[in-house]
Amino acid sequence: MNNPTIRNWLGFSTLALMLVSLFMVFDYVPPDAEMGIAQLIFYFHVPLAWVAFASFGLVAIAGIFYLWLGDQLWDDLGYAAAETGMVFCTLVIVTGSIWAKPIWGTWWTWDSRLTMTFILWLMYGGYLMLRASADDTPQVARFGAVIGIVAAMDVPIVIVSVRMWRTIHPAVLVTKQGTHGLEDPRMVWTLLVSLTAFTLLWAWFLMLRFTQLRTRSRMAWLAGRIALATAVASDPK
Amino acid sequence: MSGFAAVLRKDLRLELRSGESTLALLALSMLVLVVLVFALGAARVRSVDAAAGALWVAMVFAGMLGANRALLAERDNGAIRGLLLSPLDPSTLYAAKLCAAFIFMAVAEVGAVILMVLFFNLDFDASMARLAPILVLGAIGFSALATLLSAITGRTRGGDMLLPILVVPIFVPALIAGVKASAAALSGAPFESMGDWLKIMIAFDVLFVTAGYLLFEHVVGGD
Repeated sequence: MNNPTIRNWLGFSTLALMLVSLFMVFDYVPPDAEMGIAQLIFYFHVPLAWVAFASFGLVAIAGIFYLWLGDQLWDDLGYAAAETGMVFCTLVIVTGSIWAKPIWGTWWTWDSRLTMTFILWLMYGGYLMLRASADDTPQVARFGAVIGIVAAMDVPIVIVSVRMWRTIHPAVLVTKQGTHGLEDPRMVWTLLVSLTAFTLLWAWFLMLRFTQLRTRSRMAWLAGRIALATAVASDPK
Repeated sequence: MSGFAAVLRKDLRLELRSGESTLALLALSMLVLVVLVFALGAARVRSVDAAAGALWVAMVFAGMLGANRALLAERDNGAIRGLLLSPLDPSTLYAAKLCAAFIFMAVAEVGAVILMVLFFNLDFDASMARLAPILVLGAIGFSALATLLSAITGRTRGGDMLLPILVVPIFVPALIAGVKASAAALSGAPFESMGDWLKIMIAFDVLFVTAGYLLFEHVVGGD
């Protein structure tokens, strides 16, 4: 994971695929017949949502492994995933709002998927606030792990409850008829390319942040060792 | 089991002698209801939906205060360390703390329901009995979640402020279900119409009591 060569390759392939995906979205794919150009944001919105939810899943998985194995590596991974996920989750809400204004006539509405995404955003905002308000001790790492697990456990119930509450969000990928709503094969290709591009971008961000946090943990560990060695050396006995 | 009873008895005795938590919870519930009556305006005060919403707002805020206090007494004199050093299992400690928090919250809820009926011009009738299971389920879920998370926030800087930020988003499904079911109960809708909401609340309670029971040891242990 800490290999700079892999990281650079990941960065460059993200850039290349991102350019391809931009070209496909703005030049290749036909816009939706009814919604027109506003629909194009779909090709960013859906991949962003996918990586945001994947990050939050990763926070919970890393939390479980941290509580189980107690290796600092898992906490660094979970923390990096929470921060990355927060960025993408914010972008999901922003791109969704930009789309909703011309189509629904409002920036925000309490639809079930919007509500669910916003609640997720609040949960992981709380996670990050907790991490920000405390030093990076093993204790706080355990707190983070517990909150990551509890929040992920909550997601299915949140989905069921907000769906019963109200829903108007378009179901594109799996419609009520059981098919997908992308009638043109070019739409499918564009979506697949931008999904891959955003997944690579996410992996790259995650790797960068994870490497930073690993370095920081290692430095904290070294500082502890140095303090211990100094104390031993200066002890007259 | 004896350890569980000992901790619970200690908490209840402490509360009976001082009355601090329950009184504070009741006072806060009352204030929240008063604020909401002013905020919603006299015209909306007859609506059952507004009453149900107000009741749950009062419950969430009072519950938060109760949860903040739950482990405070243990932390003040480092008593939590003594409890953890005792042969008591951390999960048992969690169960006892959860029960105590639930009892305090239930007492405050009874007060809040009476005040809600008075402030929102409702009647004391059969709908109160239908409200009871909803409020009990809500209080169990909230206490389970808040007891676990207050053990976390109590040991961080600005913990009192962090608790609502962590608890409220996670409590949302139970809150949605609770408000909907309460409004249905107050408006006299048939019991079946609340069934799905009650199922959500039961699922929430089972999930978070289990989670708290399993995860509490990771939160308090190790220091």
